[in-house]
Parts: sequence; structure tokens; C-alpha cells
Amino acid sequence: MPSLYGYAGKVLRIDLTEKKTRVAELDRRLATSFLGGRGFNSKRLYDELEPGIDPLGPENKLMFATGPLVGTMLPTACRFNVSAKSPLTGILGDSNAGGHFAPELKFAGYDQVILEGRSREPIYVFIDDGDVEFRDASHLSERDIYETDETIKADLDDRRVQTAVVGPAAENGVRYAGIYANLMRAAARTGMGAVMASKGVKALAVRGTGSIEVADPRKFERLVEEIEAEIYGHEQYWPRRRMGTTRILMMANAAGFLPTRHYTSGVFEHAKEVSGERLAEEYNVKTRGCFACTIPCSRFYVVKHGEFAGLFGEGPEYEALGSFTARVGNSDLNVALKANDMCNRLGLDALTTAECISWAMELYEKDLLGRSEADGLDLSWGSREAILTLIEKIARREGFGDILADGSKAAAEKLGRGMELTMQVKGLDIIMADPRGLKGFGLGYAVASRGGDHLRSEPFIELSDDPARGEELFGVPEATLRLAYKGKGKLVSYFEDWCAVIDALEPCKNIMENMEILPFDRAAEVIEAVTGLRMPASEVRCVGERIVNIERAFNVREGIRRRDDTLPRRFREETLPEGPSKGTIFEQEPMLDEYYAERGWDPKTGIPTRETLERLGLGYVASELMERGIRPI
Amino acid sequence: MKRLLVDAEKCSGCRFCEMVCSFHHKKKFSPSLSRVTVIKEDKYGLDYPVFCHQCDPCPSIAACPTGALTRTELGIVTVDEEACTGCGACVEACVFDAVKLDESSKPLICDLCGGEPVCAERCPTKALIFAESEEAVSRPEEAFGELLRRWGIDA
Repeated sequence: MPSLYGYAGKVLRIDLTEKKTRVAELDRRLATSFLGGRGFNSKRLYDELEPGIDPLGPENKLMFATGPLVGTMLPTACRFNVSAKSPLTGILGDSNAGGHFAPELKFAGYDQVILEGRSREPIYVFIDDGDVEFRDASHLSERDIYETDETIKADLDDRRVQTAVVGPAAENGVRYAGIYANLMRAAARTGMGAVMASKGVKALAVRGTGSIEVADPRKFERLVEEIEAEIYGHEQYWPRRRMGTTRILMMANAAGFLPTRHYTSGVFEHAKEVSGERLAEEYNVKTRGCFACTIPCSRFYVVKHGEFAGLFGEGPEYEALGSFTARVGNSDLNVALKANDMCNRLGLDALTTAECISWAMELYEKDLLGRSEADGLDLSWGSREAILTLIEKIARREGFGDILADGSKAAAEKLGRGMELTMQVKGLDIIMADPRGLKGFGLGYAVASRGGDHLRSEPFIELSDDPARGEELFGVPEATLRLAYKGKGKLVSYFEDWCAVIDALEPCKNIMENMEILPFDRAAEVIEAVTGLRMPASEVRCVGERIVNIERAFNVREGIRRRDDTLPRRFREETLPEGPSKGTIFEQEPMLDEYYAERGWDPKTGIPTRETLERLGLGYVASELMERGIRPI
Repeated sequence: MKRLLVDAEKCSGCRFCEMVCSFHHKKKFSPSLSRVTVIKEDKYGLDYPVFCHQCDPCPSIAACPTGALTRTELGIVTVDEEACTGCGACVEACVFDAVKLDESSKPLICDLCGGEPVCAERCPTKALIFAESEEAVSRPEEAFGELLRRWGIDA
């Protein structure tokens, strides 16, 4: 029996250099202060990594962690975070995925797995309950995600083995290569796949036969029934089952913030042709779900006509769909499906891949990049050949693909031009929502601890444009108006704390945060029923705040300051030319002031103050920063 | 007699049934303790819950050397754990691969929760239903073949 219910109770450390493993009991204090998942990883990365290390060197550590709710019947609790110092951004790297990998890890007995060092020969690691095997992976070299998963299952003669796999892109050192579970569940962002490959590891394979118990089965069952009923009755239930996140594409277009032709517009005239609605009507044949999901939102599609007839797979989600359509100016849905499928098989983050291509297209369209520099490719908006060829070239680091394989920021450095046109924050390429039309989202990109990404806060409530919600939650009606600025510091810090808690507990953020199923007070009840830990809702939020702060401290130690919390110039100076968000820019500085005040960070430097860190029980972090000469003022 | 039926096209592969089953019977969450096991083929988007179909005659009952497996008046296959020696003959005999052994080597066989199976009650997509039917039970590979044909996938 673990000392805490809900958790598997053990942490597995794998030394890849020496091929040794060490198992430790889960530290109860770590569980109470960081809960799990992203919290565990971020805390350990801060504690165990020296600043300035090479993300692709053996001194980096790659951590997989899942949460206390995973491996139970709490709807959607199935996810894991994988974290390390990012080779794409040089700051905290972290990505999250669903599927069936995380519960298998729990059933095998582990809440967290830490990969250290580097294997000299290519291997995959098989975690079989209490046994860990280092297995030869030389036959898997350059194999894509699908082939690797299939070969491992055949090798182990077990189709219930769950895998987390990297593809050829990771092996070739593409700095935005991801890690894939269940073939298509991508922990894609910030290059965690590149880190795994740099350690000589092609895959983790896991088989677990154990069980998870909860502290209060009766209370837990009641909470699950309540949550189930709320999900089934939610207005988003059927749209999500039918379209998953692809339902957002038409919404974004209607509100004029659908990034089109590299953010030169917020309206895509071909939106309908590439919409989630069209996918649902003409392509999707079945709904699929992650582990324990009561609102399965993944869609299995089959391309029935045209050049790509016979292509099939799951997804795509909104980010990949929008990225390979509006962002690159492509109106052919089949090409987008093919592009997404290629990224899945090669193991590439679709978002950063599409940003690199889209950025190159803008340079080309502006005569800042010649055809001869791009391997003779016609990089006009929407060029089918350019999109599909460049994906392959990036994954193989061939020709112009090699320029793009380190991300848009590095590509601009290599080319010596186009830096101000890269749509990234801190080196992470931003997502498919134009911040000029969604101010809170934009502030979220500016301050997010992994760079320009929405999943650290995604204040979807902004889309409601309902001032009553802003008044209710923050005492500021404007906070929930998408084009207003006031109250966004409060909005973003609230949602950052919430997202951090969800990433620590590891259910699905789409459901628990976007659909507002698991607010802090109910999370407190669930935590108690599952683990036995009693903490008031305010303390649950504090865990989120603690995670955000230790991540900030990690980044501060790597040199991040307020000056880095900035969106690309286009958003700050150019207005959107058409649609319902027409005429607006993104005025970031007043929002940042409000945000730092809300966070208790120094407004000049963006460094957390000692007082803030001490309030969160992170006094040792304040002292450590001080010893390094890093002071808030 | 009412039976547990599967609509393979509706099964999302979420395995909520596995969790509901193990919790209902054992107050623990574990696929290894569940009497239903979802077979999955991610590449082809295929999912199928495997469980005891209460076949009559039942090869596992016939194979049991100690008479520990019997059928109740309602027609439900049940295990007498006192009489069971944990030999696993029932696992070998089941033509649907629907029997496995728990941590004390006793067979896990669907007991229809005594007549109100919780997996069907809680299945998020209603892929599992509890109803009267005379239809022959299909094996996962047959159901998968049918779906792939319907979708036009050449596997």
C-alpha cells in the first residue's frame, strides 16, 4: 500500500550511461506541494539541472510524470507531461499528451520516470512492472513512429504494451521533434523528442499489471457520477464529440483571429473548405477516445477521393489543421491531412513545422528569400509541393530543411534575415489564434513558461465576451471581453494557476478547464477522495501558483527577464486588415504591468520577489537565485 | 435472456468499462482485474471489448476439472472460489479469450453484475448495451474486418 492513495507510489530513475536503475518512494512532501505531472517535473528540473547546460547533452534530464487521478475512472484522467531543458528554446521544455501510456505507467507502479545520461548504443527501455530492460534498438533506426510502435509490440509479443516513441526527425536532431504515444497522441512541443533521441533512446515501452486504489471509494464514485453527468449535459458535449478541437476553426474565422498567411490576416476565405464541419461530414468514420474518457473527441478519418485516397488516421486537431491550411494559405483539406500524417509519422511538432514553412513563404512572397535558396521550391502561399516537400526535408535535415530544422528563430539567425517576421516567443512558435483578436490569450503567450503557447493559460472564457463572468471572477467586467485590456493580468494568472493544477493532476484540460468541469473547489474534493490529502481550494490554487513560480525561476536562471516577455513586432504595431478584429493591435505593456503585480514579480525585471517565493514555500529558490546574483530589482 | 452486446463502430476504445468493472468488483482500478478487456488497433482506429458471452454450452465449464464453474438459474457463468484450484484450464478453453486470472489465480469471468452490468450502464458511447438478441456473437477480428470493408480501408 502506498502511503498516499491515488499515486502509484514510486519514482524510477534510469541511468542510461551506466544502464542502472534506482527506485525511490514518492516523497509525500513533493506530492502535497506539487501534486504530480508537470508539477513534479518542473520542481525536479529546477532542483537538478544546472543552468547553462546543453539541452542535447547527457547532463540534461528527461522526465515523464503523471498524476494522482490517472489510472482511475475519473473521466479523462489519462495524461502525462514530459519535460527537460528545451533544445528549441533553451528554457524550460515541457509537453503533455493523452492516450493510454500514462495509466500503463501507473499500473506498472510509477508516478515519474527520469531518464539521465546517455546511452552509447541505440536502445529502447522496456518497463515491465518492476523490471526494467535496456533493449537494442539498432533495427529501429530511422523507423517512423508507426513502424517503431509495431516492431516493439512484435518484439515483445504483447499488443497491450504502451509506447512513447520518437521518429526520424528526433534522431536527426530536429529541435522540435516530439514524443508520440498511441501513434497519434503527440507530446509535440518544445522538442522533447530531440532530447530523448540525444540520449540514445528510441522509445519507452511500458506494461503494468498493478492497480490503483482511492482513499474514499464512496465519495470518489459520487464525484465521478457528478462529473460524468455534467459532461454529458454540457453544451459543448456534442460539438466536441463530433469535431474535437477542429470546431474552433470556423469560430476563429468568424471572430477574425484565424491566423491566415502567416498572420497577415485573421480571416481565411477558404475556411469552410478546411473546417472541422467538413471533416465531420465527409471524412470521419469513427470516434476514438483516450483512456477513461467520457467525451471522446478524437476522430478517425478516411480520405475517400483524390490523390490521397486511402489515407487514414486520427485527428487532426485544430492546431495542426489550422496550421496546414490558413497559416500557410492552403485551401486543400487533403493536403493538410497528408501534412499532418507526415508530421505524425516523422515525429514533428506540426505547429512549429508549419510556422517554419509559413515564415519562409512570407519571406519568399516579399522577395526576401530566393527560389534558389530554397532548393528550387516555389514557396508561394499554399504551395502544395512546398508544404509536403519541406516537411520531409526538415525531418531529414536536407537542404533548406536543415535551415528550418532548428525552429524559425534559429532559421532567421542562419539566414541573417526575417527575424522580426518569426512568429515566436522565447523561441517557441505561437499557436493558431491571433493575439490581436484575443488579448488575454496574447498575454498568455508573452509570459508562458515554455514560450509562445496557449496551453499554459488558455483563458477560453474570453471568447464568451460576457462581462458578467469577468465581474464575477475578478471584479473586472473587461477581463472577459476579448478585445479589452483591463483585468487581463488577473485573468491570465488565474487561468495559469488552473492549467498548472490540471497539468499536475493530469486529466484533460479541454474538459476540466475549457468546459469548466474541475474548478479549484471541486479539484480539492477530488484530490481528497483520491489521495486522502486534505487541502482547501485556496491551497489547490497555491499549488498552481507554486508550479508557475518555480518554472519562472528556472527560466530566470537561464536569463529570461521582462524584455523576453514580448510578442512579435507585427502584433504590437500592425493592425489586422479585415474582419471583426479589424483595426486592433496588441498593446502589451499595460497588461504585463498588471500581470507582474498580480503575480508578485518585480515589474522591472519580471523576477519573482523573495516575498512571493517565500509565501509559496519556495524560500530556497529565492536564496539560490540570490546566491547566483539574480535579484528582482 | 438479455446479453451484453457490442457495437464496434461506436466503441471509442476509452476502456472506461475496464475501470468501472474492476472498481465494481474489486474496489480497485486495474485492467488486470477487469472482466472486460478492450482490444485495440490504433493504426486502424479499431476497438473491441472482449468479455464472457455466457456461451451455452461453455467450453470453460466443460474444461474445469473441479466443477468450480457452474451456471446460475439466470444462465450466468459463476466461479466457486473455494472449489477453484487456479489451474487456468478455463482460460485455455475459452474461445473468446475472455477469461483471465486475478492476483490469487482465480478466474475473472463476467458475471453480468448479477443482472445489471455496470459497464453497459456507464459506457460513454453506448457501444456496450445490455439487451435481448438472437444474433451470433462476432469475434473482434470479424468485427474489425467488417468495419475496414465499410470504411474502404485495405489492411
